Amino acid sequence: MTDIYIPATSDTPEINFKFSNNTLSMSGEAYPENGVEFFRPILRQLQSHLKSLSGDTVEFNFQLTYFNSVSTKIFYSMFELLNEYAKAHPNCVLLNWHHDEEDDTILELGQDIQEDFTWIDFNAIVLA
Amino acid sequence: MSIDLFTLFREEADANGIVFYYSGILSQNAIRTMSDSLKQKLQTQDEKGAKSRKVFSTFIEMIQNAMHYSPDALGSDDTKEGSILVGQSADKYFVICANFIQKQHEPRIREKIDPILKMSADEIRQAYRTQLKNDQHSDDTISKGAGLGFLTLARDSVEPIEYIIRDAIGYDNELSYFYLKATI
Repeated sequence: MTDIYIPATSDTPEINFKFSNNTLSMSGEAYPENGVEFFRPILRQLQSHLKSLSGDTVEFNFQLTYFNSVSTKIFYSMFELLNEYAKAHPNCVLLNWHHDEEDDTILELGQDIQEDFTWIDFNAIVLA
Repeated sequence: MSIDLFTLFREEADANGIVFYYSGILSQNAIRTMSDSLKQKLQTQDEKGAKSRKVFSTFIEMIQNAMHYSPDALGSDDTKEGSILVGQSADKYFVICANFIQKQHEPRIREKIDPILKMSADEIRQAYRTQLKNDQHSDDTISKGAGLGFLTLARDSVEPIEYIIRDAIGYDNELSYFYLKATI
């Protein structure tokens, strides 16, 4: 699987999915005009990459500072994919959840993700 | 409009704590530009950031909602129009958005918002969680979003969200004006 690198714009995040070493990172802001159109091809590639793995450890760095409601829903289904992989391969997905100390919206979403996707190892990191 | 009237318009806006006002074509380009401007403005007003973030989120949800759901401006092809305002009153911010809707969609909009108006903060949070998990985001074929938009607004609003639907003068039975307000 070819790595994905998409630079950030003001309304789309930087996507740095290094499938070659299973380090996946996203940062910036996400409020594209059509979130489904933007994220769907990325999620498809992630899904087929995960299918090709057999117990490799995947590290996901989630470092977004703002995302709209459509993107929130898409991220939820992305974590669902990672949770399914982790269910088949326990302790193989680490999610680094970066958030600002005062950002209760992203903090709360992190708590929901943690509660709903129990196979993912969740690591909250407070941004300085 | 006379220049005098414009001074009144501007002074009235200042007196009512208006931080930001836009009325015109809604495009993603326009939204990006407004976002930069609004962020800068909020940064200088609220050092803590938590409230600014919610104001910004509310602004984006409302303006993208208006862009996605308002019918094309009269005589145009795929051009959307709307108005949005961000203001400050004492220690609270308010965001109000206005856009055209098809008159026939009025019941559908009421059905979506009215139940949210009656919810407590906890119920809003629960409904948000349920909708987040919902794969089949409703059987509503018109909705292009995630079904989370109004719930996101309600979650971040410290007072119940408000809306009014008014007849659009000159558009007979085709169009109405939809106004939506959140307080942060």
